[in-house]
Amino acid sequence: MGVPDSSKTAAPPASALQKCLDAHPLPTDSPHSSDFHNLALQIAHNLRYQHQWSGVRLHTVEPSDKSRPLPRPMLSGVPPNRLYVHPDEQIELLQIQKDEGKTGMPDLEPHREWVLPSHLREKWTLRRFGEAFDAIERSPADTEGELLFDSQQPEGGEGNSKWRENLPKRLLLGTLDDDSTVVYYIVHDGIVKPRQN
Amino acid sequence: MATTTTITEPVPIFKLAHRYLLYDVDVVTYLRREHNIAGVFIGTLPQASQQNVFLGLPLELMPEEARLLVEKGAAHIVDDVAEHKQNFLAKGLGTEERKAYQAALRKQGLGAAKEASKKSDEKKKNALKKMATENWNDIPDDMFDSAPRRGRRAPQAKQEVPATSSDVSDEETLFASSANSFPASSIISRTASNASTPGLEPYGVTPTTSYPPLQALTIDDGKKDELPVVPKSYPVYRHLHDKGYFLAPGLRFGCQYMAYPGDPLRFHSHFLCNGMDWDQEFDLLDLVGGGRLGTGVKKGFLVGGEQPSNSKINESKEGEKPEVRTFCVEWGGM
Repeated sequence: MGVPDSSKTAAPPASALQKCLDAHPLPTDSPHSSDFHNLALQIAHNLRYQHQWSGVRLHTVEPSDKSRPLPRPMLSGVPPNRLYVHPDEQIELLQIQKDEGKTGMPDLEPHREWVLPSHLREKWTLRRFGEAFDAIERSPADTEGELLFDSQQPEGGEGNSKWRENLPKRLLLGTLDDDSTVVYYIVHDGIVKPRQN
Repeated sequence: MATTTTITEPVPIFKLAHRYLLYDVDVVTYLRREHNIAGVFIGTLPQASQQNVFLGLPLELMPEEARLLVEKGAAHIVDDVAEHKQNFLAKGLGTEERKAYQAALRKQGLGAAKEASKKSDEKKKNALKKMATENWNDIPDDMFDSAPRRGRRAPQAKQEVPATSSDVSDEETLFASSANSFPASSIISRTASNASTPGLEPYGVTPTTSYPPLQALTIDDGKKDELPVVPKSYPVYRHLHDKGYFLAPGLRFGCQYMAYPGDPLRFHSHFLCNGMDWDQEFDLLDLVGGGRLGTGVKKGFLVGGEQPSNSKINESKEGEKPEVRTFCVEWGGM
């Protein structure tokens, strides 16, 4: 009751997100600024605990040339379900299903995806998208980067189909707003016809 | 069946009030067939100008479309106003041509006047006959033939014009409507001034086309055509067009272009396109909004621009335009 004695009450316990940020401090020799680092961590946290991604990894250097840092820290992870099916692949899969006398889409092995963290208040240019795409390879390796959360289930996602190999690079643009909402958009590096959802 | 008319390139694109227009249906179909240029029809019917669902000629081209055709050498720009001034006002047309054209116009006007007067006479006769059969016997006989009346009427009108123009116009609209599309006062003044000439005054004809007598010729003087001014998004337009897409204005979806994978009559569009400079800043909200709208209508949202080549190898090898790079955005579904 009354006015709380500030000298005696301890600070409230840190939030789950704050614990995650504290557990992965920015390395002192990092070429990236702490705000980009924390942005990536917050989006990783959202992927892991809101969207049930597994094997979320933090990447800071280019996969092809480890001496060069990425334009900003990026993430990769495995979604619980296949994130993207090209319309032509969908047609092919449905044709196979039909030939086998089944209906609907078959269960697909999820693929590891690149995630590019961004904030809604940032200004973007085409150049920055170009640089992000130039720095990454078609599909992220599940051995590179720093594993942020303990992997609950075995990481799926290898055995990339010919579709992944032949399509232009893609990444998932995660955009954070001030109210900690994150929206995810798939961005392709080139002309890829839209899905017929 | 082969078309009977052949189109020879370059075709004229008429520039009028900063719009690029085509008036010839053969040219329109040719460009659509051969160059994947669809354009937008903007012509309505004069009788039903509110009807804008099915529009017709003329066809308006976007500046990008005009620019592309000129760059390809498939078309040239004709400044319509300058051309008319040169030919009709500055005596660019030969004297004989001019006379022949004027005579043709006069003949056309006379034909129209004759036709109109014949029609109105017939109408009047029928009306009066009808009245006569309904036992309106008090109509004077000479009202049935109108020809002498007109002769009598004209000199009388000449005297009365300033004083009782209202009476006269009333009577004119009732009976002698030889040209019912003109206001009564103008008829009076015309008939009055030309009372001595027998027969009819030809109607003033507004020609609906000036080609011919004008000809949209290419002047091959080695001088490069002035290229239409285009927005910054032109590289993206050209890039997609080169890949075989038909591009239409994107106002309906709040973007710059809609990209169709084939003729818009056969396909739904695939992309909502925005073009910008490589270093032009944009809000992520625009990308999110575009991506969401595109996904909502089963399309992709495409942004692109010209990537300046940073390596010198590229420059020396190609020596031409920098590469256009595009990015497609779709909703992630999560």
